[in-house]
Amino acid sequence: MFKKIIENSMAKSPWLFHINAGSCNGCDIELVAVLTPKYDAERLGFKLTGSPRHADIVVVTGPVTAQSKERVIRTIAQVPDPKVIVTLGSCPRSCNVFKGSYSVVGPLDNYVDIDVSIAGCAPKPEAIIDGLALAAAVLKEKRRAK
Amino acid sequence: MSIDINTILMYLLYALVFPGLLFSSVFGLWLAGVDRKVVARMQKRIGPPIMQPTYDFFKLLGKETIIPANAATTTFMLAPYVGLVSLVVLALFIPVGGFQAFGGMADIVVVLYLLTIPSLSIIFGGSASGNPFAGVGVSRSMVAIMAYELPLILVLLAVSKAVSGNGMLTFSLEGITTYQKLNGSLLFDWRLLPAAVAMLLVIPCEVGSHPFDVGEAETEICEGPLVEYSGAPLAVFKLSHAIKMFVMTALFAALFLGGIATGMLWLDIVIALLICTVVTIICMSFLHAITARLKVEQVFKFFWTVVSGLALVSLILVWIGI
Amino acid sequence: MSMQYYQHFPVLSIMILFLGAFLVALFHKSRFMRTFITSVAVIGSFAMMIALIKPVMLNGEIITYWLGGRVPDGGYAIGIALEVDAVSLFFGILVSLAVLLSGLYSFRYTKQDDARDKFFTLYLMLAGGVMGIVLSGDLFNIYVMLEVMTFAAVALTAYRSWNPNAREAAFKYLVVGSIGSSSVLLGIALIYANCHTLNLAQISALAMSKMNPSMLLAFALLFVGFGTKAFMVPFHPIAADAHAAAPSSVSVLISGVFTKTGVYGIIRVCYFLFRTMGMPAVQTGVVLIGSVSMFLCVTMALNQHDFKRLLAFHSISQIGYILTSLGLCTALGIAGGLYHAINHTLFKGLLFLTAGAVLYSTGTTKLEKLGGLAKKMPQTAALFMIGAFSISGVPPFNGFVSKWMIYQATYEKAMETGSIGYALVTVLAVVTSVLTLASFVKVGQSVFFGEMPIEYQNVKETPASMLVPMWIMAGLCLATGLLPNLMFKYLLGPATGAVLNSPAYIDSAMGAGYAASQMPDMSLMADPVIVFAGAWKPLSWLLLFVIILAAVALASLMSKKRTSESGAVIDSKHDTFFGGEENTFSQVASGDLFWGFKHNMRKYLGFMSNAHNGITNEYVTWGVVDLAIIIVYCFIFI
Repeated sequence: MFKKIIENSMAKSPWLFHINAGSCNGCDIELVAVLTPKYDAERLGFKLTGSPRHADIVVVTGPVTAQSKERVIRTIAQVPDPKVIVTLGSCPRSCNVFKGSYSVVGPLDNYVDIDVSIAGCAPKPEAIIDGLALAAAVLKEKRRAK
Repeated sequence: MSIDINTILMYLLYALVFPGLLFSSVFGLWLAGVDRKVVARMQKRIGPPIMQPTYDFFKLLGKETIIPANAATTTFMLAPYVGLVSLVVLALFIPVGGFQAFGGMADIVVVLYLLTIPSLSIIFGGSASGNPFAGVGVSRSMVAIMAYELPLILVLLAVSKAVSGNGMLTFSLEGITTYQKLNGSLLFDWRLLPAAVAMLLVIPCEVGSHPFDVGEAETEICEGPLVEYSGAPLAVFKLSHAIKMFVMTALFAALFLGGIATGMLWLDIVIALLICTVVTIICMSFLHAITARLKVEQVFKFFWTVVSGLALVSLILVWIGI
Repeated sequence: MSMQYYQHFPVLSIMILFLGAFLVALFHKSRFMRTFITSVAVIGSFAMMIALIKPVMLNGEIITYWLGGRVPDGGYAIGIALEVDAVSLFFGILVSLAVLLSGLYSFRYTKQDDARDKFFTLYLMLAGGVMGIVLSGDLFNIYVMLEVMTFAAVALTAYRSWNPNAREAAFKYLVVGSIGSSSVLLGIALIYANCHTLNLAQISALAMSKMNPSMLLAFALLFVGFGTKAFMVPFHPIAADAHAAAPSSVSVLISGVFTKTGVYGIIRVCYFLFRTMGMPAVQTGVVLIGSVSMFLCVTMALNQHDFKRLLAFHSISQIGYILTSLGLCTALGIAGGLYHAINHTLFKGLLFLTAGAVLYSTGTTKLEKLGGLAKKMPQTAALFMIGAFSISGVPPFNGFVSKWMIYQATYEKAMETGSIGYALVTVLAVVTSVLTLASFVKVGQSVFFGEMPIEYQNVKETPASMLVPMWIMAGLCLATGLLPNLMFKYLLGPATGAVLNSPAYIDSAMGAGYAASQMPDMSLMADPVIVFAGAWKPLSWLLLFVIILAAVALASLMSKKRTSESGAVIDSKHDTFFGGEENTFSQVASGDLFWGFKHNMRKYLGFMSNAHNGITNEYVTWGVVDLAIIIVYCFIFI
């Protein structure tokens, strides 16, 4: 029973940690918009945390620049298990318009496994909420699999 | 006091179920949920379900606990539990609606000092994590403690003076409650009104709620002392935070609204719990929703001038015996 | 009256220390002999003090021992007396305990020094001097012992003479300390001129009837003289220098023992010799000095960047508590003050010893240079935390109980006198307590927690022979906090009674009925009643705490977290989070802490640190001005 409570709670209380891996700030603004009164992702239990140690879901935006690569990998490693990695926008999956730049070393899946991708440049808030809800479900699955 | 098995069982029941560990956890988490809900409603959001802090707690229990390589392991792991336990012990001694599990032992100075232990556990736990953000957070939390301690002691002394008569001094919470049962609640004593307001401002600072949560500012210093905590210890800290809401509001109810007596104990308790909720909403949710976080030196200045001033006014009014 | 065997204990416990000092100097070549003699002396002295608990504390005897059997003749006490009542014994136990523990610690601690035979000679001289002061019943003897003690302490301060700070501190100590000594001497001379006796008991009986301006001057001089030994404001800066420079085990003695002689002297002067403590003016004055010491020194401590200097300022701040409480002249106040005195010796001793351990292991006590030592020295860190919690009054440690009593005593006094000033003293005491806590959080963060500088990677835990005395002190800190009832029964109750019962002291020395024949007014309080305004049952609290802790531990075991499995990038998983940056050294040390507090108080703190400029001439000026003010105060208000 205790196990069940924890599993259910996993899906209901996903905390986010947001990493900017060289994003143009478009997706970052949209992510914050998701928390505003109009969309209010907090009603699903989402909360932005300040430390990767508290996070369940890591949201990465940006095409992973050479400068940010190490920091992104290190920060993701610091998130306790079970964790879900979500890419927000097209950049982390494909480097988008930045592909081929001397300073871009993405996409992110060269370095870490990605669980959920939210496409768009920038994605609509509805899409973000949808993706995050999916991530929460993945989180529960991961916990169950353990 | 004769010790038989029934007494021991009864005390165990008090300590672990009501008003101890179990009840204070459940009620504290409920209060935290109400707080978040009310803040959301004031911001025109739907807000999380009332059960949200409970979900958070159980989720954190299911997460991995990482102990940083730089941390002093024992202190790091022990701190949250010590903080939690001292809060639960505190909950046992504060009369809730006239019900006191361990009567005759509560003393306002003891309460004042026990209240610093949870804050200290956060401070030393954060300090032991070896993280520089935690270092900054530790410093800020400590300044917050320094800030609220002065008005808090002034409030306590004013209340103590108001209920002491004929040269007999009382520091005991039981005495304060008894006085109020006889003479009416102290909140309706106009001399103590400034002190009550000061107390309402001390509560959010003690609990670490907006706008006085300088120590755990998540946007500036990554939640300060808590930055390296994960999993179960973090869950315990979150639980302590919730219990602290209950303890502080119950303390307010005991100090200023202890005069409510319907004759039925269970009704008294329910009323006291309602008061706790209302106080939470007034001094935490409303303040949270309408203010932005203060800077640490502003917090200090605010408490040592405005809040202490209010409390001092009460103390002087009580003292000159108008 | 036949002599009981234990009546020789007071003189023996002094003699054994001085004899030890002599023998250590004699056998200075043999390390074994030195250790052996020192151990025997300190243990013997402590054992004799403990043996006196039963007759003096429980049976209420007052031991009067006339050296050479020269009992009073013709109504005048010509001979030299040792007189041990509960107050003397209380301080005797305190002193011999601190001497014992810091002596055990010193054997290993001074390993890196040369001339260790001289260290132990001086050490035993200091101990003997202090014992002589607290057990003596003769005013001039007290002065002689005071000088023995002071000079031993000065020499020990300068013991590490390769350190220029130590030499400077010793010099300051000598100069400023001599103000105190000379004013004590002058005071004694005035008393002798008026009363024609040097026996404490007889002076006490005669002083009131012979009150005249010169006696008043003597009172002021003695008060300031003993105040200097207690390092009350404005004599505090020398204490800071001396503590910081002296070896840690000597700091324990200076802080835990040396200052106590000052407190003891003030008790004897105010409660016994002149019996002036009943006067509101004296009470106000003492409480004022106490509160100023309390608050001023704690704010100075917050400004310090050296572990031992910080402790030194705290030491005086705690002495401020003791003076405040003793100045109230109520049973609760005296009991609280004495309780705080014993607690102060224990926790401050413990803290100085941990500072010494840090110095021993790392070679520095500068807060900025240290960090993260808890990983390498877990026991020392635990001991530090016990000491820090005790001094800042966190329940269930001992500092809490005595502070709790002091708050009650001050507030009760406020109710009694109807003066809001005493209520503000309560508030000040609480605020001081919080500031104390803050400065120990700072030490914890800067020395034991946070990140460790590279150069301390090879630091080892403190050696066991140094840890044992520290653990004993820590255990006593907890025990005295948990068992206040036993403390009252065996130490505080009798001592409080004795403070308020000077006629018994007089009669024991001069023969029964002498006090009644000489003193017009005998306000006798043989059996003081100590009433608390609240309740503190530490054992029940602790029991509850343990029960719930067990329950929580059980629950947390049930939800045992999974161990982390290795991933692709596991190497950085256990690094501290620093915005994704690499784990470089980034310690947040003392200089940056409490900015919010310092910013608001910057004018006051800036003024204070400018005032403490380290110039001996200015400190002497402060002392002389203070003496003048106190004399004038006495003449106006008494």
